[in-house]
Amino acid sequence: MTAAAGVRAPVRAGRIQPHARRRESGLLALVAVVLVLGSVSLGATQRQLAGQPASWLPADLGQLAIYLGALLVAHLALIMTGRRADQVLLPTIGLLGGLSLLLMERLPQALVTQSLLGRNFGLASIQLGWLLLAIAVITIAAIGVRSDSWLRRYKYTWAAAGIALLLLTFLFGTEVNGALLTIQVGPFSGQPTELIKVVLVIFLAGYLSDFRPLLVAADLRLGPLRLPPLPYLLPMLAMWAMALGIVVIQRDLGAALLFFAVFLALVYIATNRTSYVVLGLLLFVAGSVIAYQLFGTVRDRVDIWLNPFVDASGKGYQVVQSLYAFGRGGIIGTGLGAGLPLVAGRLPIPAIHTDFPFAALGEELGLIGVVAILGLYLIVIERGLRVAASAADDFRALLAAGLTLVVGVQAFIIAAGNLKLIPLTGVTLPFISYGGSSLLANGVVVGLLLALSDRGVEPPPPPRPGRGRRPAFLGGARSAR
Amino acid sequence: MDPYVVAIWIVRLAFLGGLYLFMFGVTRLLLRDLRAATRDPSGALARLVVVGSEVSEPPRGTVFGLDAVATIGRDVNNSIVVEDDFASSEHAALTFRGRAWYVEDLASTNGTFVNGQRIDGLSAIAYGDEVQVGRVRFRFERARR
Repeated sequence: MTAAAGVRAPVRAGRIQPHARRRESGLLALVAVVLVLGSVSLGATQRQLAGQPASWLPADLGQLAIYLGALLVAHLALIMTGRRADQVLLPTIGLLGGLSLLLMERLPQALVTQSLLGRNFGLASIQLGWLLLAIAVITIAAIGVRSDSWLRRYKYTWAAAGIALLLLTFLFGTEVNGALLTIQVGPFSGQPTELIKVVLVIFLAGYLSDFRPLLVAADLRLGPLRLPPLPYLLPMLAMWAMALGIVVIQRDLGAALLFFAVFLALVYIATNRTSYVVLGLLLFVAGSVIAYQLFGTVRDRVDIWLNPFVDASGKGYQVVQSLYAFGRGGIIGTGLGAGLPLVAGRLPIPAIHTDFPFAALGEELGLIGVVAILGLYLIVIERGLRVAASAADDFRALLAAGLTLVVGVQAFIIAAGNLKLIPLTGVTLPFISYGGSSLLANGVVVGLLLALSDRGVEPPPPPRPGRGRRPAFLGGARSAR
Repeated sequence: MDPYVVAIWIVRLAFLGGLYLFMFGVTRLLLRDLRAATRDPSGALARLVVVGSEVSEPPRGTVFGLDAVATIGRDVNNSIVVEDDFASSEHAALTFRGRAWYVEDLASTNGTFVNGQRIDGLSAIAYGDEVQVGRVRFRFERARR
């Protein structure tokens, strides 16, 4: 029985000193080189296809320079404020966002247009704007979040906000491709599900860290399953009902799948009990069967997944074209800008910039490129789970793990959907898909992860404030000698 | 073959190679990080951090690594010795029982407090909870891995 004691200097708060981040500097330099190479390759390909004279100028020097400049500013801000946050996350996210920018520059700019202040902006310019905002959100969250008590204390408020957002979508959402996803306010539209996933993780982390001891103590036996007392099972059933509700009312299979998967993973992390996972999977199977029987959209998706070639020019068109794109890409791809042949003047895959960027990159970068992109997501997941593993208390561990899994599971759901590994559900590929809501919500996730990874962050306050007073100890105490 | 086309292909492959160079660089960092974590000699299951102390031993900021069983008290045979007249010689015990941690008051004179509440015998605690023995307040934390 040993207890190693070591004296640690108390954390000095309030002093800001620059602190070098050499690993991040090196990796960001590498990201810049890679992105410039990609842009040069895209520019040369586009000029060659258009029959213009050979030149080695990058495709769009200005946009790339602005993007890399923003990454540099974020990096410098982290250095100047002396943050000791993780040094791998920012470059990895920067590379994913840069790939997104290259892809958007490569797609026809008329896919999305917006006029602002009398000027018209195309796909790449708008995406660049959102990417810059996402980098700003990451930096502000990484530097600004110095304490997590406002997250853990108001967990029910967060839950209420999430449910309110969900109800807003139910009531005022506009329908896109048969799913009720978007809220339109004046010229702006947004997808609340992207924000709900962050709020949900915060709530679950707070809830599970508070009730962990009770959830771990099993005293209800159901055959081979050992379950906790019934009242503590209710959140699980509520979560299941909510996921099913999203499927029924919103017809948004992707979000339902994402929420339920992250919920199950978090319950498992919190309790280390397989019985919960088994129970959750049984509920999932039951829910899927019910949804398949009752709803045409669900049945369509599953049928397309089982055999898209039955209706290759109708319902299965997107998935079939996505498979063709991966096939045309082969091992090393066609090169940026050289793939995606137009079919009757249009891109081969509908909704390519939101739902199928993975297929587009699969065609132009090939198997090698796709594996590299999956590797980048794995790096993000590894870093996030390391942050969780070295967290000082349950709330931070669960929060970090949940935020990481939200990004990881979402990337898996849409990448696997593009590859016809699982039925296609319309969620975005984090940091690559076109779309402001997705980029900003994922920016919040990465910013929080960076803040949580910072060892200098204020230590967690003693939990459950208000339940007991600090003992007025010295009054009434007597010497124990 | 057109030299321009060949050159474009070289740039394309260099781009793909660059992606893997980045992954290689990151993987090297991650491996170094993991090795450093496994070299951590303490191998403790959890930690107790002294967040407030009105006695000389242990001072504020001390970190104790915990085994599956750890006892706190004034006696020198305890794993964590608290030099405080208000602590009993065998004051409290922290035990890890398979899935969860428990703190037990060993019939001390002045009691053991978790988050400001006096406990009766055995009580489950969670990471982040505050344990008070005598005039020393500890925060119970996960092991840093």
